[in-house]
Amino acid sequence: MEDLFIQISKAVVAGLMMGLVFGLVALGLTIIFGVMDIVNFAHGEFLMIGMYAGLLTATLLRVDPLVGLPVAAVVGILLGLVCYYSLVRFLLRGPIVAQLFGTFGLMLFLRNVALMVMGAEPQSLHHGILVGKSFVVGPGMVIELTKLAAGVLSLAAFAGTWWLLNRTKIGKGLTATALDGQAARYMGIPTERMNAFAWALGGATVSVAGALLVNFWPVDPNVGLLFTMIAFTTVALGGFGSIPGAALAGLIVGMMINIAPMWDACAVYLEMEVGWLHQFKYSFVYLAFFLIMVFRPRGLFGWKH
Amino acid sequence: MPRRLFVSVLAIMLGIALSFPAGAVEEIKIGVLYPLTGGAAAEGKELRDGAELATEIANNAKSELSMTMAKNAGIKSLGGAKIKLIIQDHQGNPQLGADLAKKLIQDDKVVGLMGAYHSAVTKTVAAVAERYGVPLINESSTSPALTKEGNKWFWRTTPHDTTFTNDLFVFLEGLTQGKVKGVKAFDKKDLLPVVSACEKTEWGSNVDAAIKELGKAKGFEPQVSLLYAAKAPDLSSEVQSLLAPKPGTMLFAGYGADAILMVKTLKSMKAKPKVIWGQDAGFESPEFVSTLGDDVEGILTRTVFSPRVGDVKKVAKEVNDLYKAKTGRDLSGASARSFTATQAWVHILEKAGSTKPEAIQKAANDIKIDADELIVPWKGIKFSTSGQDLGQNELGTGMIGQYQKGKDGKMILEIVYPFELATTNMIYPVKGW
Repeated sequence: MEDLFIQISKAVVAGLMMGLVFGLVALGLTIIFGVMDIVNFAHGEFLMIGMYAGLLTATLLRVDPLVGLPVAAVVGILLGLVCYYSLVRFLLRGPIVAQLFGTFGLMLFLRNVALMVMGAEPQSLHHGILVGKSFVVGPGMVIELTKLAAGVLSLAAFAGTWWLLNRTKIGKGLTATALDGQAARYMGIPTERMNAFAWALGGATVSVAGALLVNFWPVDPNVGLLFTMIAFTTVALGGFGSIPGAALAGLIVGMMINIAPMWDACAVYLEMEVGWLHQFKYSFVYLAFFLIMVFRPRGLFGWKH
Repeated sequence: MPRRLFVSVLAIMLGIALSFPAGAVEEIKIGVLYPLTGGAAAEGKELRDGAELATEIANNAKSELSMTMAKNAGIKSLGGAKIKLIIQDHQGNPQLGADLAKKLIQDDKVVGLMGAYHSAVTKTVAAVAERYGVPLINESSTSPALTKEGNKWFWRTTPHDTTFTNDLFVFLEGLTQGKVKGVKAFDKKDLLPVVSACEKTEWGSNVDAAIKELGKAKGFEPQVSLLYAAKAPDLSSEVQSLLAPKPGTMLFAGYGADAILMVKTLKSMKAKPKVIWGQDAGFESPEFVSTLGDDVEGILTRTVFSPRVGDVKKVAKEVNDLYKAKTGRDLSGASARSFTATQAWVHILEKAGSTKPEAIQKAANDIKIDADELIVPWKGIKFSTSGQDLGQNELGTGMIGQYQKGKDGKMILEIVYPFELATTNMIYPVKGW
């Protein structure tokens, strides 16, 4: 019984740490959607670029991967701004189909550019203050430092974004634009600039998430696909446009990925077959996405529509 | 015409005729499919380099080498025809592999095929070869199912996973009985419980099945056995389940990046098993050692080659020296096997004396290559022509190696099984992290 408790709490802790990062990955998607009703299919590719930014900073400059975080943030901001001013601005004038296909094209473009520049092979970080380090808490509970740091820093990024949106003038402008763009424009809020700000903020948060992930997650040009799925599920679960929703849903998705070890712990106790659930690890996330779309399309905290 | 002039003209004509023998020198094209990009790219490059070296030796006379293939330049029975490899990258993708095989057969008009490393890709390529009636020699795909399909155009030089997995359990049993050099007999309970994790494509799932089946018979049935996606970017939830019963023995089958990730995750979760064993592939790629460095010390992998084989086989050392001069690396299980399969191609073509598919098929079924010719420590190459394992080399055997740090500080694969070939004392238990 004690062992069951330890195994379950291990899986829960692992799920919480990963969940915070998943939440941060989804944050940018939900901000952009919340402000201008655009679904950014290239979101996973933004993350991939953030991962490469962190990886290249650490390997080329021979510095600790943590130094890559601000670099990734800057790269993310620039990426968001460039995408907005060179593509999204024009898409907004077109029909909704154009917006869908526009960001979908952006996804393919970014992925193939990465394939051309970085090659198809997965790359990972092997050195750094945190990489490969872990410490033991209590009986048998091993915490990986990279994941703990990623979780804590994601939490900090969440707090920062919340503060920015709720306690600053620019954040209030953004929220106003999100609530009613036309009314905001009448009030003198530069909505065009707010849109650009949303893309910059979205790009920055997801890039930082990427730079945190690359500490323990190998990067290749196709890594975005998995995270796009995870981010979509997270945003759908939390409610499109909701920031606390993204955080909470991230935690829930983190738990879903750890269903297999939880089940294994119970299966040992119940003397049932263990191990077979692992091959369906991400299927739970996809299943959840499907169920949410069918039964509760507005998610847990959806406030738009 | 004066007689002397007539003789000289005749001599010159004869000379020309001799240098261009009947049938004219032609090129023999062999289509090769390897994963040159993607997670197993490092192994793909090893395979390519091994096959290229064998081709180089077959195409040019290298009398200093003690193997028949090196004696002639090109295929003698085909008028000295040279072998040309057309190497394509299937990226580990079965569909792409099949498409490339079709292209090689239809557009490039290859005489035969070789490849494709990933068992799942080999399976689709073998189906194409079967449909078009083109011979395929497989060097390194070890899923037992591949030779159980009754294909008439498929031959496999490497032993398969039933052999390898059987070796593993014979080894584990011997380990407890004190048969392994440097380890005294101990209670079998120390190695229990056994846990296993295999990647979930054709190859890994067959290894998983073999581990369960053969392990049960020897009392090493895994308590936890799981499958994971080879492209999995994160394995911590898998490792958590593996470590839950505090395993004594951990068994793995992983391709490239995932094998590295597995060991990294084991390290970060402070795993403390007594034995860690990998089913070749990712566990013996040069990248595995170069990326993980000292962390691999003590890890076991089944293999078919270690530079240490050169200590007992002269020809292995000679070829390894050539390979090292060419690439800067020692031969690995992958490159040694692609070398051997290319060598089998040369012997078969030599015996066939023709590039017609039927002639090659007959030659492949009749061929017997002696152990002395090979760089791998097998009893030779002879393909099964009847029964359950059609096209399987009956004379292949496996080895188990352990990573140990040499005096020069470099990690080398020492042989610990077969027991009589052991090159050093085994490190037991594995040091852990």
